[in-house]
Amino acid sequence: MVVVDRLTKAYGRLTALSDVSLSIRSGEVLGLIGPNGAGKTTLFECLAGVLPYDSGEIVLDGQPLTAAARASRIFYMPDGIAPWPSQTVKWALDFAAGFFGGSAAIPDVVKRLDLGPLLASRMGALSKGQRKRALLAIGMLTPHPLLLCDEPFDGLDLRQTREMGTALREHAAAGRTLFLSIHQIGDAARVCDRFVLLSAGRVCAEGTIEELAARLRPSHPDHPLHLEDLFLALT
Amino acid sequence: MRLRKGPFVWLLEKEWRELLASRAWWVLLAMSGPLIGVSFISAVRTYAELSGYGGAAEGVGVGEAFSPLVGVWAPTFSACELAAAFLLPFVAIRVMSGDRQSGALKLELQQPMSVLWRVGAKAIVLGVAWLLASVPAAIAILLWRSYGGAVYPPEIGAVAAGHVLNAGLTIALASAAASLTDHPSTAAIVTLSVTVGTWIVNFIAAVEGGIWERIAGYTPTAIVAEFQHGLIRLDVVLIAIALTALGLALAAVWMHIGTPVRARASESIVLAALTAAIVFGATFLTASWDLSENRMNSFPKADEAVLRQIRQPLRIEAHLAAEDPRRVDLEHKVLSKLRRVMPRVDVRYVAATSTGLFEQAGAHYGEVWYRLGDNGVPMMSRETTVEGVLETIYGLAGVEMPVESGEIFRGHPLAVPPRRAASVFYGFWPALVIAAGVFQWRRQS
Repeated sequence: MVVVDRLTKAYGRLTALSDVSLSIRSGEVLGLIGPNGAGKTTLFECLAGVLPYDSGEIVLDGQPLTAAARASRIFYMPDGIAPWPSQTVKWALDFAAGFFGGSAAIPDVVKRLDLGPLLASRMGALSKGQRKRALLAIGMLTPHPLLLCDEPFDGLDLRQTREMGTALREHAAAGRTLFLSIHQIGDAARVCDRFVLLSAGRVCAEGTIEELAARLRPSHPDHPLHLEDLFLALT
Repeated sequence: MRLRKGPFVWLLEKEWRELLASRAWWVLLAMSGPLIGVSFISAVRTYAELSGYGGAAEGVGVGEAFSPLVGVWAPTFSACELAAAFLLPFVAIRVMSGDRQSGALKLELQQPMSVLWRVGAKAIVLGVAWLLASVPAAIAILLWRSYGGAVYPPEIGAVAAGHVLNAGLTIALASAAASLTDHPSTAAIVTLSVTVGTWIVNFIAAVEGGIWERIAGYTPTAIVAEFQHGLIRLDVVLIAIALTALGLALAAVWMHIGTPVRARASESIVLAALTAAIVFGATFLTASWDLSENRMNSFPKADEAVLRQIRQPLRIEAHLAAEDPRRVDLEHKVLSKLRRVMPRVDVRYVAATSTGLFEQAGAHYGEVWYRLGDNGVPMMSRETTVEGVLETIYGLAGVEMPVESGEIFRGHPLAVPPRRAASVFYGFWPALVIAAGVFQWRRQS
């Protein structure tokens, strides 16, 4: 569906992304795993077009990604934003559905993310976890086939993380492709089908847990199939 | 059946709701009443006294020559200029940079809509916001009518148009600053610096004259001043619109955070160059319309008819310093009117200093030389009055002085105090705004 080829982005002398290449397949939940500062947010912003990149190419269905195609195919939900703080959650959801032209039913998304009690609250008055759920709901209401979510579990407690993970899996099962940036590897292992390991702006490996483990087997025949261990070994 | 709203309507609604949530706008709205009120009350009181109220000018008849345009509407609407310079920028910056601060811009930019539409939605809402903040000025007109005061709609329309253009310039400037800078406080400093910069240009123009004087003619203060005299100049209107469009276009260019900075800078340079070309071209346009009831920007009709028949270019060389009151009289009371009827007037000022204080003793200081056509005989005069200058020009052209029609503007004296104005502007209006603000806050809660 989307192929990223040798994407490079530098902030002055600091190279945030260096020859990043990866592929995103239709209908999968792809996890972008990396420590803080690995370049996950920069990669998402470059993919979404909110940040210009220096070189490389993004290919969509075999064609170089144009701005118009990007706007209709990829939606990016950033981390750490607090949009429309004076407006209610209900209005924000209505706006997202109307402005972006999504066809998803708002009541279904509200129920799935348990946002009912928060509908009358202002966006600016939500706690970090509540806001994260509201933002995810906005993302789910958009019609773009590919949804990029930056740290969807950040600020959530264990129960909320599990519930959110389930909601994301259900959303993907309904036909949406998800690309999630996650620094908690345990969370990523529960939710994602495949993984891209990013460290210091470089892709270290890409694949399912089995595929990642297979890369280590020749040198570490007894290596366990835990994502944490694979990440540490491959990055 | 409920109609499905398009993305632009959603955006307009969002901008409107964000405006209603903006404290800066409510402050502007609440302050506009007292600001306009104090100007209106003071102007009406002075107008009444000059018209003979309280025996202050009884029998003198000063008010007979009074026009409400100069006596009431110019000072009343000047409060709008104050609000546009010091309050409106903060509202515009709040609306423009709020999305970037909250992160909403990153979401909204993913809707495939032109950034021009995005900036357009914000500009429309800010324009409506300004019109609502100008409602006290409309109330002042109603009060004036209730006192029995004369209202001449074309001249009030000219004053209002001037303030709309000025507000447009302010909105565009603040929008560009908000889009170009990372933080609203930086944008506020940039906007106020540009405003103060235009005042400095006006000051330098008053001292230095020359090219500065020409540039100063297009600063917001000068634009408003001309409209407040009921004069609409095509060049001024076009330049104001071009600069407003430039500001909004720059805001659109720099709002597009996904475009490389170098590309945005290049687009900005092209836009600025294009605007500079339009502005330069517009300075050659001489069409203008005097909408004042007393024709304060025009010579008598009979004189204009004769002057229009003089086809040869007129060259004037005035040996007067920039700050000399005679030069101010000559420029504002005579030459500005002359340029309107004789497009081919070339004026050159000659002075070694800005004050002319130590040039007075010079043999040629104070002389104004006139030459009609390339080979015409020069004629000198020291007159700086309308009658004196016209007499010289008629003498050069060899035409008879026209007979005055005898039509004299008698003015609209009105010796009435500003009744009810204080309670309306200082009490009713702020109370109405506060009540509306509380209602809105509760509705959103």
